[in-house]
Amino acid sequence: MTLPGFVIRNAFRNKRRALLSTLSVAASLFLLVTLQTFQREFTLPPSDIGASLRIAVRNKVSLGVPLPVRQRPIVEGIPGIAGVTPFTYFGGRFRDEAYTPFAQFAVDPVAFTNVFVDARTPPDQLAAWMQDRRSCIVGKVTLERYGLKIGDKLKLIGTFYPVDLDLNIAGYYSGTPDDRSVFFHHKHLDEMLGGGKTVGTWWVRAASAEAAPGIISALNAAFANTSAEVRAETESAFQMGFVSMWGNIKLLIGSISSVVVFTLLLVAVSTMSMAIRERFRELAILKAIGYRRRELFSFILAESFGLAMVGALVGAGGAYLAFSFIDLPKLTGGMLRQFEVTDRILAMAFTIAAVLGVVAAIPPALAVARTSVVDGLKTLD
Amino acid sequence: MPVQTVAEHTSSSAPGDAAGPIVSVRGLTKIYRQGDINVTALDNVTLDIQVGEFLVLMGPSGSGKSTLLHLIAGIDRPTSGELRVQGIDISRLSESQLADWRNQNVGFVFQSFNLVPVLTAFENVELPLLLTRLGRKERRRLVTTALDLVGLGDRQHHLPKQMSGGQEQRVAIARALVTDPSLVVADEPTGNLDSHSAQEALGILQSLSRDHGKTVIMVTHDPKAAAFGSRQVHLEKGELTA
Ligand SMILES: Nc1ncnc2c1ncn2[C@@H]1O[C@H](COP(=O)(O)OP(=O)(O)O)[C@@H](O)[C@H]1O
Ligand SMILES: [Mg+2]
Repeated sequence: MTLPGFVIRNAFRNKRRALLSTLSVAASLFLLVTLQTFQREFTLPPSDIGASLRIAVRNKVSLGVPLPVRQRPIVEGIPGIAGVTPFTYFGGRFRDEAYTPFAQFAVDPVAFTNVFVDARTPPDQLAAWMQDRRSCIVGKVTLERYGLKIGDKLKLIGTFYPVDLDLNIAGYYSGTPDDRSVFFHHKHLDEMLGGGKTVGTWWVRAASAEAAPGIISALNAAFANTSAEVRAETESAFQMGFVSMWGNIKLLIGSISSVVVFTLLLVAVSTMSMAIRERFRELAILKAIGYRRRELFSFILAESFGLAMVGALVGAGGAYLAFSFIDLPKLTGGMLRQFEVTDRILAMAFTIAAVLGVVAAIPPALAVARTSVVDGLKTLD
Repeated sequence: MPVQTVAEHTSSSAPGDAAGPIVSVRGLTKIYRQGDINVTALDNVTLDIQVGEFLVLMGPSGSGKSTLLHLIAGIDRPTSGELRVQGIDISRLSESQLADWRNQNVGFVFQSFNLVPVLTAFENVELPLLLTRLGRKERRRLVTTALDLVGLGDRQHHLPKQMSGGQEQRVAIARALVTDPSLVVADEPTGNLDSHSAQEALGILQSLSRDHGKTVIMVTHDPKAAAFGSRQVHLEKGELTA
């Protein structure tokens, strides 16, 4: 036998307790890692640079109700507006996948580049897109994910429009927080549908941030009491509302995490104290036969630390594996964008476990140090 | 650390001071403070113990037998008086020096056997050796020798719960002598044993002093057990009477 062997034997002397305490550490750390991963997900870089200037205009009734094309000149006539593009969600299905992880929008290419200024496309590709009415630009992420190349065809099966699209890939774009969407000519959609009288939404770019509030009221006022009243909102106002709502959630997640850690600490300290108290007399014998305080402390520390680390391995490691193999972005329809257990989160979980292991060892170790051999021998089994 | 096998051991129990007594106690007093009350557990005790003696400490309950044994074995400290073991004033050693000293010089046997329940007989006996620099092979040899000596050579891999009380106490004796200490102390070692097992345990302790030159100090209040010793001293209210 060796000293580490002795520690291991002691740690598992009460197998059920060792298992339960390891599992409680594991479950708590799993929860903690999940919460922290959520937190990170919602504080991902929130918006692109153009967001504070962009205004979304939708039908006041609902996002699903279209807006008449005839609104465009009125919108363009509002002072302070730098660009307007129609913006219609196509919602097509790509290939045989049950779920298509990228959205497609019909836009006015020239106006689009004027509104979504942060989407960058190589000039030659942009020119090609402008020229070919049946072409599109594809987000870099989507392009790479499917191994698509410039010049390839992109077939989209209509789901709520009764038409399928067969687009030429003219180029790609990047530089937005989420380079996944596909943009194509609104005119092409109009042709396919044989209409051209409606759009999904208008997206507007204000010339300056100061002008935005005035533009919003002007937009809302312009179509008041018409058959298609609108609701205009800046993207950044929307984002800010989003972030401030998440501010509360962040506080909530923070509080739950603290409570989890604190509870875990109490459980660990009391479990370790109980485990050691049962062995007081044995520890007194070990002292009598020559073991010193620091050796006994090492035993207790090693046992406590070991159990906490195994718990962390199972809990935090388990969370890491689970969220790596389960495609949560896909399962949540893209609501969760990454849900990635980062190294930082893992390091935090293991640090907490390490601290836990050390802290839980201190009270029993102090009790053992304070108890003389003679007093220890008197404790009952 | 000069560890020898018990079997090889002959007469080198008191290194450096073979002539004098192994234990020399002069005016030893131990007072426990319990709140406002002082309890005098040992009162001015003077006693010499020679190498190879099997000394039996007798006396009524509460007379200070265990206290004296604990002081001599270096697990408690005297209030006043002089205490030399092998010529060393052990009351002056630091906690950690004292721990080393006990590891090398004293073997302990208690009334309740105090084996570690998750360790086999072999591993329990090996415990004191884990603090030494001895290699695995050497440890194995010493543990086997000690277990053979107490007649448990064939029970090495049994856990305490798989053994009888008498066997457990013999494992405890093997653990006490595996480091080849000069001094073996036993506090009522037969208190929890039936008379047959008690006889076996006492026989082993007797042979340690008689055949292997160990100094054995045993506390008991059983006259039959006391008869195994080579000398008896009596305590009464913390004082030696005879
Ligand atoms: N830790 C202690 N605190 C206070 N009193 C003690 C302590 N240990 C022993 N005593 C007292 O010292 C006296 C001698 O005790 P002890 O040596 O255990 O007696 P014995 O072993 O002869 O039964 C008793 O009166 C006992 O109550
Ligand atoms: Mg006693």
